[in-house]
Amino acid sequence: MSDPYTLHTLDNGLRIVIETMPGVNSAAAGFLARTGARDETRELAGVSHFLEHMCFKGTSKRDWHEISVAFDDLGSMYNAFTSADRTFYFGWVPQNQISAQIEILADMMRPAIPEEEFAMEKKVILEEIAMSKDSLEHVAFEFVLEKVFEGHALRWPVLGYDDTVGNLTRDQLHAYFESRYAPDNMILIVAGNVDPAQIIGQAEQLCGSWKPSGELRKRVTPSINKGSASQVVSRFNQQVIAMNFPAPGGSDPMHDSAEAATAILGGSNSRFYWNIVQTGLSPHAGAYRLDFDDCGLTILSAQTDADDDGLNKLVDAMRKEAHAICTEKVRDEEVQRVKNKRRTTLAVEGESPYHRLVQIMDDVDYRGAPRTVAQRLESVEAVSADSIAEFYEKYPIDTDGFFISVGPREWPAGSN
Amino acid sequence: MEKTIHKTLPCGIEFGCVELPDRHAVAIEFRIFSGTAHEPDDKLGVARLLQETIDLGTENFEGRALSDAFDEIGASHSGWVGREAAGYSCFVLPEFVERAIELHAEYLRRPTFPEDKVSVAIDLTRQEWSALHDDAQSLADKIIGAQAYGKYLGRHALGTPESLEKLDRKSILDHWTNTYGAGRMQVVASGAIDADRLADLLEKHFGGYGSPSESGRDIFEVEFDARRIHHDKEAEQQQIAIAFRGTSLDRDDYPAQRVMLGVLSGGMSSRLFTEVREKQGLVYWVSAWGEYPRGSGMIFLGASTKPDRCHETYDTLLREVDRVGKDLTDEELKRAATGMVAKREMQGDMTRSRCGELADDLFHFRRPRDRREKIERIKRVTVKDIQNYLDAHPRDALSVVTLGPRRMEGTEVADGTKTEGVTA
Repeated sequence: MSDPYTLHTLDNGLRIVIETMPGVNSAAAGFLARTGARDETRELAGVSHFLEHMCFKGTSKRDWHEISVAFDDLGSMYNAFTSADRTFYFGWVPQNQISAQIEILADMMRPAIPEEEFAMEKKVILEEIAMSKDSLEHVAFEFVLEKVFEGHALRWPVLGYDDTVGNLTRDQLHAYFESRYAPDNMILIVAGNVDPAQIIGQAEQLCGSWKPSGELRKRVTPSINKGSASQVVSRFNQQVIAMNFPAPGGSDPMHDSAEAATAILGGSNSRFYWNIVQTGLSPHAGAYRLDFDDCGLTILSAQTDADDDGLNKLVDAMRKEAHAICTEKVRDEEVQRVKNKRRTTLAVEGESPYHRLVQIMDDVDYRGAPRTVAQRLESVEAVSADSIAEFYEKYPIDTDGFFISVGPREWPAGSN
Repeated sequence: MEKTIHKTLPCGIEFGCVELPDRHAVAIEFRIFSGTAHEPDDKLGVARLLQETIDLGTENFEGRALSDAFDEIGASHSGWVGREAAGYSCFVLPEFVERAIELHAEYLRRPTFPEDKVSVAIDLTRQEWSALHDDAQSLADKIIGAQAYGKYLGRHALGTPESLEKLDRKSILDHWTNTYGAGRMQVVASGAIDADRLADLLEKHFGGYGSPSESGRDIFEVEFDARRIHHDKEAEQQQIAIAFRGTSLDRDDYPAQRVMLGVLSGGMSSRLFTEVREKQGLVYWVSAWGEYPRGSGMIFLGASTKPDRCHETYDTLLREVDRVGKDLTDEELKRAATGMVAKREMQGDMTRSRCGELADDLFHFRRPRDRREKIERIKRVTVKDIQNYLDAHPRDALSVVTLGPRRMEGTEVADGTKTEGVTA
């Protein structure tokens, strides 16, 4: 099969990545701004996410309502998200609307940031922060980041804090935009039944005048803290336990082994599922990976409304499984089962331009180049019991990590 | 070339299949008329417990070995329980379809419901109940569902703390015996599969599975409770849930309702997003959606906001619903319809979506429906159709739930015994 990719860079540094998918009836496009919550100061915590909202709130060409109408007139499935590493804006449309979709997205990448809309959107984001505080999972996750990355910008919540969002000014947000949304810090990605030459020509016309900054983003790799901490939040019923350990980042060659290792320990049909959930210790227990540009976390987490005795048993069981997988090589059949599932998932994901768009974004941002479904599959097939053993040797999870407890009780006693 | 098949197999299974030869995978869904509405009155929660435990042990497999067998073929499979049915869906590569059917037959036909697994499942469900109260939005959904649908359709899959006390292995086994069988099943597939071959496989593996006579398809009546009730809960935000009766999927005015919901809550230019969020900044989340038990329809409005802005949000939600009948424009209508049509077309690229679409057709209409015709019905809706729909379904009876720290004027305070764990 011929290479489905067309790669191009405009003179101003804007990279363009296109995957042609001849068999589908739709297409998806997205702009990746390579900036996120970790690129903020404490004073500006939440500014990346605020800017993401403001890109929908007006440009020199359209007001906020005209932007929404333009998307909806295409029948687009569209949105945006912000993470610690990046901000991504996307739309998925019928094939014949992809040119119009790219035009709207490109327009949004040069937002006007009207003062009155800035004030209105601040209210919306403060509601979003309030909503997140009513979610135990969200509260626990933010506490994990705050403690594990204390001393580093990765500890900011993506939404920011009430005070930083409340105090943020339009000028501060605009200055952040100027410094981060330069074309040499952005990538246009398109997937679907499209004509690459037409897209490159359109991108040149729409984005060619954007001024590059010449500044590469500067990131400092965090040290990942060890220790323990608890947070008492009396209005919840369940206690969340999270054990956190260093892991490779999204660009690390060990990434696929880390994924498989975590799936064997704490995915569906995993050791955690059978030895923790199915023994009644916790309704939700699993192992997860958190990828960043240059580092990652393995998080072993579970929740329960049990008493101290139940919590102790739960933690002992989690530690026992963590120790076992670090000291005894996983069985070949366990590895093969994970690979088989991944093969099916990749077949599913390969069907839709939207899913391909998100995968390409991940590959391009973390690895510098896209991978076809077949290439992704090759990486998965290369995982073995030996490569998983190497992973756990380098990134053990039976040592001191950072132990977090969040919920209605001060547990372990005296840990608050 | 795409081809759709629909027939009833000798074993009693109602079978539907969309052959999509150019795809690389197959989606299969087993839908059984055994939802929460079918539960005995004193065994609430048993439908979900059945679904949770049915694959934890069979005559030929221990639970873990069965899961391993699914993983060996890379099958992505899952289960769910709704108001009127339970579903078991699977996504698999074409070469493993036969093995996937064998494994589904193994747990659906020959479950043993091991005593120890049932006991754990009951305890986990009790913990799920506790976890539900840590999620304000899901809790509000549960409460408005019970209030809007009433005794049968309003049941929650988790049952109640009291009903869980009465459940055991025998109640699950009885429920499986009474409500699972080929005559209560619809099996639908899509993707790179030969429909005749799949039909033969189903007949081979499900022949003799209970009575082949069609059963369990009675329609449950909605018992709508038009009250406004506040449930007190410590939280940052107040949850608002509003329900009123709409039309059912099989009625001629359904497309008008569907487009009206698109006008209210389709994309970001829709009325609720525009009026509640963009113009007033009252919320981050606001939505309107429809639910369709067979033979009925229910419209829901939902939002969450800080307690001191609850009244304003509530008033705006209702104002916007009323306003649709008065000043809807052709442009808005066309935009809402365009969104629906485009989404249907784009999701057509996904094998799993095609399977779900056909499963819904059989569930609600007992036949596959032409995709073009469905799209045309949406495109044909006019402003006048929506006005007629609104005239025929006046919002003169509302079921309202607020959940949070502040009681809204005009609401009753929930009886603590009915809030089941919410602090009153």
